[in-house]
This record gives sequence, C-alpha cells and structure tokens, in this order.
Amino acid sequence: MTAESIEGRTDSVALRDNVEVAEALGRNYAAGFITDIESVGLPPGLDENTIRQLSAIKREPEWMTEWRLAAFRHWQTMPTPDWAKLKIDPIDYQAISYYSAPKKAPKSLDEVDPALLETYEKLGVPLHERAALAGVAVDAVFDSVSVGTTFRKKLAEAGVIFCSMSEAIREHSELVRKYLGSVVPQGDNYFAALNSAVFSDGSFVFVPEGVRCPMELSTYFRINAQNTGQFERTLIVCEDRAHVSYLEGCTAPRRDENQLHAAVVELVALEGATIKYSTVQNWYPGDENGVGGIYNFVTKRGDCRGADSKISWTQVETGSAVTWKYPSVVLRGDRSVGEFYSVALTHHYQQADTGTKMIHIGRDTKSKIVSKGISAGRSSNSYRGLVKVEKGAERARNYTQCDSLLIGKKCGAHTFPYMEVKNPSAIVEHEATTSKISDDQLFYCRSRGIGEEDAVSLIVDGFCKQVFRELPMEFAVEAKKLLEVSLEGAVG
Amino acid sequence: MSQPARTPFVAALAGAPLPASGIAWLDEARRGNLEAFVAAGLPDTRVEAWKYTALRALAQRGFAAGDAQAASRPIDPALLALPGAGAPALVFVNGVFRQDLSLPDALPAGVSLQPLSGVLERDPEPLRFALARYYREAGDAFARLNAAFAGDGVVLRVEAGVRVAAPLRLVFVGAGAEGDLAWHVRNLVELGEDAELTLVEQHLGAGEQGHLGTQLGDFALHAGAKLHHAVLQQAGTGSSLFRRSHYRLDARAQAHLHALELGGALARHDLCAELVGDGAAFHTHGAFLPNGRQHMDTQLAIHHRAHDTVSSSTWRGVAGGRGRGVFRGAIVVAAGADGSDATLANKNLLLSPQAEIDTKPELEIYADEVKAAHGATVGQLDERALFYLRSRGIPGAQAHALLTAAFARVPFESLSHEALRNHVEQLLLAQLPG
Repeated sequence: MTAESIEGRTDSVALRDNVEVAEALGRNYAAGFITDIESVGLPPGLDENTIRQLSAIKREPEWMTEWRLAAFRHWQTMPTPDWAKLKIDPIDYQAISYYSAPKKAPKSLDEVDPALLETYEKLGVPLHERAALAGVAVDAVFDSVSVGTTFRKKLAEAGVIFCSMSEAIREHSELVRKYLGSVVPQGDNYFAALNSAVFSDGSFVFVPEGVRCPMELSTYFRINAQNTGQFERTLIVCEDRAHVSYLEGCTAPRRDENQLHAAVVELVALEGATIKYSTVQNWYPGDENGVGGIYNFVTKRGDCRGADSKISWTQVETGSAVTWKYPSVVLRGDRSVGEFYSVALTHHYQQADTGTKMIHIGRDTKSKIVSKGISAGRSSNSYRGLVKVEKGAERARNYTQCDSLLIGKKCGAHTFPYMEVKNPSAIVEHEATTSKISDDQLFYCRSRGIGEEDAVSLIVDGFCKQVFRELPMEFAVEAKKLLEVSLEGAVG
Repeated sequence: MSQPARTPFVAALAGAPLPASGIAWLDEARRGNLEAFVAAGLPDTRVEAWKYTALRALAQRGFAAGDAQAASRPIDPALLALPGAGAPALVFVNGVFRQDLSLPDALPAGVSLQPLSGVLERDPEPLRFALARYYREAGDAFARLNAAFAGDGVVLRVEAGVRVAAPLRLVFVGAGAEGDLAWHVRNLVELGEDAELTLVEQHLGAGEQGHLGTQLGDFALHAGAKLHHAVLQQAGTGSSLFRRSHYRLDARAQAHLHALELGGALARHDLCAELVGDGAAFHTHGAFLPNGRQHMDTQLAIHHRAHDTVSSSTWRGVAGGRGRGVFRGAIVVAAGADGSDATLANKNLLLSPQAEIDTKPELEIYADEVKAAHGATVGQLDERALFYLRSRGIPGAQAHALLTAAFARVPFESLSHEALRNHVEQLLLAQLPG
C-alpha cells in the first residue's frame, strides 16, 4: 500500500477522534470536583461501596446505581467459568482498581519502548498517530477541535446519537434505561455480570427510524482514552429501517497496564434495521515467553428484534494473551439475518477461545459463519460455536465453515461446534478443516523468488480473504499488515 | 464440597451387596468404585459429556441390584436367531451367562472364549490390570457402577496370527422380571499380533421391562491385528442402556466398527479409541434412529497418538416422533502424531416437529503434519428426490420411507459380511415409518 492511502485513512480517523479530544478537553475545564476525584482514583478492591462511589463519580442516576448493585450481588454468587480451553491463573478481583486515575503518560516518543515504535513503523502508522497509540498525552497530537464539531453536527442533523456511555446515561437516560441489559442481562455470565457492576465507559449509538448513519462510526480512541477500556460497555440501537456501520479497535498494538479486560457490547436491531460491527483487536499479547499480556473476556451479542433485520459481526483478533469472546446473534425477527466473519491469530503463548452463537427463533432466519484460525508458536486457538434452531424457526438456514491453519509443531488448533436443531424444516451445515501450510505451497512461492516470511504472509492472506472482504476497506488493508507483523518469527 | 442429595437411584444401589469374589484386589476395587459412585451420584447436564442427556428422570428411579432368577428365565430361541451369522457363541440374560443358550463349541484353534464369571473362579490374575481400575472423571458414573457390580461378561482372546473367518456372536438380553433391575457386563477382548476376527454384538429385549443395563468393553488390538466389530443395539423399548467401549490399537492394527442403534428408551454409547501404534487405523460407521420418545446418545472420541494413524467416521442420524438423537464426534491429534489423517461426517434427518438432533463434531489438533476435516449437517429429505419418486407413481409415505432408509443405510455399505448387511437393511426398513 502507498503512503498516500495511509494518510487518507488517517484523516478520516482524525475526524472521528477529535470528538474525543473535545470531550477530554471539556472534562478538564468543567467540573472541578469530579476532576479531583479522578486524579485520585479509587483504591483497589471491590464491594458495594466501590460501586456506589464509582456511580457517584460518574454522576449517574439512582436507577443506574441500583442496576450496578444488582449485577454485583448476582456476580458474587457465580462460579468462575472453566469450560473454555484456556489456562488462566486465578484473577484477584480485589487487587484491581475499578476507577483509576490516568496513568503517568510518557512525555514524548523518546520515552516509549523502541520495539513498539519499530512495530508502528512496519504497520505504516503515521508519526503523529504513533504518539497517541503509545499513550503520549493526547493534547499534543490533536489540534483541530473544530473538525470534531463538524463531525458531531453532521450526526446531529441526521438525528444520530453517538457519545460516550457515561454521557448517554446522563443525557439520554430513558433510552439507555430502555435498552441497557436487554440483550445481555446483568447476570448473563460471570464476566458480563462483573462488567455490569463496574463498567467504566464505552460508546452509545442510537440511530432513529429510517436513518442511514451518514458516516462509519468508530471508537478508534474513545474507550482507550484515560484508561477506561478495562470494563467497556457499548450499546448500539437501530430503530426501524435504520442502518449503521461501526468500527471498533485499533490496528496497532497498544501497551496497556491493565491485565483484565471484561467488555460487554449490546446491539439492538429493530424492524428492517442493519448493524455492521467490525473489530480489530490487538491488545498487548504478552512477550514471546508468554509473560504479561491482556486477559480479554468479552460478551458481544446482537438482537435481531424486528423482522428483516440484519446483524453482522466481523472480527480480526490478533492481540491479548487470552481471548474469550463469542459475538452472537439472536434471530428473533422473521427473515432476520446473522453473520459472523472471524480471523483469529495466535502466536507465542497466546490463547484464544472464540467463536459465535446463532440462535434461530423467527421463521426464515438465516445465519452464516466463516471462521479462520491461525496458530503459531506455542499458542492455542479454539473455535467454539453454537447454532441453535428453536421449534418455531421454520425454514431456518445456517452455513458454517471453520478452517484452521497450523504454523509450527508446538501449537494447537481446535474446533468445537455445537448444533442443536428442533425444527424439521431447518437446514444446518457445518464444515471444518485443519491443515498446515504445505511444503508444496511454500516451495512454489520460494521458487519464484519470494522469501519464506513473505510466502507465509501471502498464503495466510489468501486463507483469510473471505473475512477481510467483509471489513471496511481501510481496516482490511491494516488487518493484512497486522497479520504479517504478528506472524514475525513464526517460520524459520 | 457439599454432598449431593442422595437420589432414589443412588440410594437403591448404595446399600446393595457387592458380588463376593473372594479376590482381595477385586473386592477392593469394587468397593472403591461403589464409594466413588455414591459420593458423586449421577452427572447432571452441567457436566460437558452429559450436556444433552439429562438423567433427572433416571435419578428418581430405583433398581434392584442384579437378577437372582436370571439363570432360569425362559428365552424364546427364535429371538436369538440371526440368519447367516451362525449360532450365538455366548448369551447373557440380565447380565448373567447362560450356558444353556450358548453354543461356543465350534471355536477354531487359537481362540479362547469364556464367561468372565468362569475366569474369575479359575484364574483371575491376568485380568487384574483391567478389572482393578478406578474411574475418576466427573461423568464416569456408569463405569463406576459397572466396575463395582459386574460379575459376568466376555473374556475373548485370539492368539497371534490366528485368522477367524466366521463371525463370532455375543448376545445380551434384557428379560422381563418381577421388577426393574440393574445388570452389568464387563467384556475383555484381545487380538494377538496379526490376528483377525469378526465380532457381532447384539443387544436384545425379551418381554416388558424397564431395566438398567451397563456394559464396559476393552478391545486390545496388538500389532497388525484386524477386528471387524458389528453392534446391533435393539434393547427393549423401556430399558436404559449405557455402554462404554474402549479400543486400543497398536502398530498397523485395524478396527472397523459398524453400529446400529435402534432400541432402548435411553441408550448411550461412549466410544473411545486410542491409536497408539504407528499406522493404526480406526474406521467407524454408524446410524442412530430415535423414534417415539427414545433418546439416543453416541459419544465418539478418537485419539491419534502415533505417526501415520488414520481414522474415518461416517454417522447418520434419523430422528422421528419425539425422539432425540445426540452425537459427539471428537478427533484428537496429539503432539508428534505426524502424518495423522482423520475425517468425520455426521449427517442427520429430522422427520418430525417434536424430534431433536444435537450434534457436536470436534477437532483438537496439536500436530501440524496432519489432515483433519469434519462436517455435520441437519436437514430434511431432498424435495426433488421425493418428487422424482412420486412422479413415478410411488405414494408419498412410501417414497419418504424409501429415501430415509437409503439415507440411514449409507454407513453399512462397507459392511463386508453379506448376511449381516442384509439383516441391517431389514431392520432399517422395519424401523422406519411407511
């Protein structure tokens, strides 16, 4: 790819991000009382008091505090899940600070780990963006507050609400109250319950009836600003015939002190609505010896509540030491459609247990699953998926394809698909293969003068093509580069 | 950990007297397994291996331990007939060996076939390794029960190099008694180097009964041995049958399993194969056809542990009425098992709105020089094929039955014994509506 195309993308990203900067700036100047507490943070530990304090800091309404407390009480009764194919040291939830002050940021790029900068170089991340990714204080990077304002104005004209979850709880309380927890209830699972109790921030998107969101929305920096990404909560609601495409994540690796990330994402699609949700997840995976890295436990679920609605998940997962994530779609509305496209790459000592759930409830519902797992080093990569066809789901249709690619002798690639069918007019199909990059393929490339690493990249890229096709263009280009970087040292 | 409340099922067996063998190591293992069973009870659906097979109803029932009258229960000889497959070599009624019904006299040289009860009386020591086992997994309730209570079964050994052409037939009958009872059989089969054997295993029901039967089978195949194993499960419609078969294959050994699951109210088969020698091959072919309120669960796990091991699995499920078919097909390729080649296909038909199929093919791969693929489908008959038959004057119901039988017979096309294959086809046609 050319330098121009990277620059082109950066501009559009900058446009999205400046909303954040505007917000961050606004917060610094505004409520002094809040700022004070923010700079202190909460001490490590978790009890009802922590949650009340957290809720107070965020100036939340009473119902929200109660909602969090109900989740917390339920969470305390739940056992830690152990069914995933993951080896995880026990997590001490009392050792975590549930509201931390912004960590001391490096003052300039000179203070940043050179290895990280080298990676940015390879990914082609522009200079001024590298600083932000490495966590250098943001105000040095962004200069144009007005761009953000334009962006906001355009959305407001269309009637689209796009703001942080904290803001939404204050400003759009009734909307949040109506939909929050309606897809992923507080007690849904262990990590969702924890998130419901202590979520720090996230995004809220509301697209009113008949509106096609005029631009692709992105959280590129939103949640990651100010260390709030640890317990992220996102809610996207599309009313009848509304349409939105949402990009989440960050294609360049981030250094992050947080060990545990437990996010919840809820999507609601009403009649005829379409939500497309794309993720590129590249949290710190730990070093080549498996030391450090993020534990990423995410609950993502979409609810096709109305007839003819559609929810599509696309994910490229290359980061985190541990990934536990199953973006799902509940196909409630007749003729609704669910899709899941995934590339999960693990290297060194990374572990991923990821997949999807498609729950067919309405008639003539359709789902499609394409999952590509790549394992290298000593990593472990599992696909775990459920396709469930309920009794009333006449003529439900599912097609699932799961392919795994092994690079090296010490890694593992696993496939655990569950199929539960209760309707005789349904058709459910699952196919899976596991193979390695064949010597023939490599030899062919090498005999044409392509180096071994490039040959592997080429083959991996072909293997993932079906999924990359579903990503927005700029993301696809970066995802491809990201795989190349992540696979460094996997061969030879 | 808190002790689970003792269900009627556990309570009935907890106090039952264990069979007295007078062999110290055996009595100790029996006691240990019974204690483990009583302590853990029956697994619930939170145990992954039992996710789709709920034992709540079973847990509320009590079974008498064993059948004191088993030796004298009348069995109609016609029940035991299988045209073209010879006389039954060993027959067990409610878990007890019946000399009067067994005709093992024509055994070729180099084949030793005895009831376990007899071996335990004469020379139990060689069986110590197999019988003094403890079952420790969360889902092992029935293996524990079997290890505690099984006093009879089959001990079969084929000497190295002996090839037996004629099929050897083992029959297990659940026969109506004064009340519902629990019976258990323990089978030990060993094939010496380069030995070859065709084994036919039948499960039949006689009279009204809702017995609980458990079977634990070990099949050891030494280098180059070849086993053809056909299982016809037609247990009584009210009975519950839990079988577990463990195959161990040394270098170049081959096993071909054909399994037809037709009977029982609740029938579960755990099938585990370990390919421990280079070039070992394990091929399974099976069909399960739950109907009425039947629940059938097949749990297949194939472990590739050596170089160039091969496995293939072809399974078909047909669920009608309120029947429920459960299938798990796991392929595990261990690190270092380079050259492994594994395929698995499970296709299912749902014939009724109350029927259900739950299928879970799994791949667990720790080696890179492998070929592994699996596929599973759930669907219905091809409309075009139905239309074709109807356009040629075949009534709808009959066309349905014909196509369904054709679907279910696919796994048995590779059954080389012709009389057996014909018998399976007759059973399939009789089972299917139309």
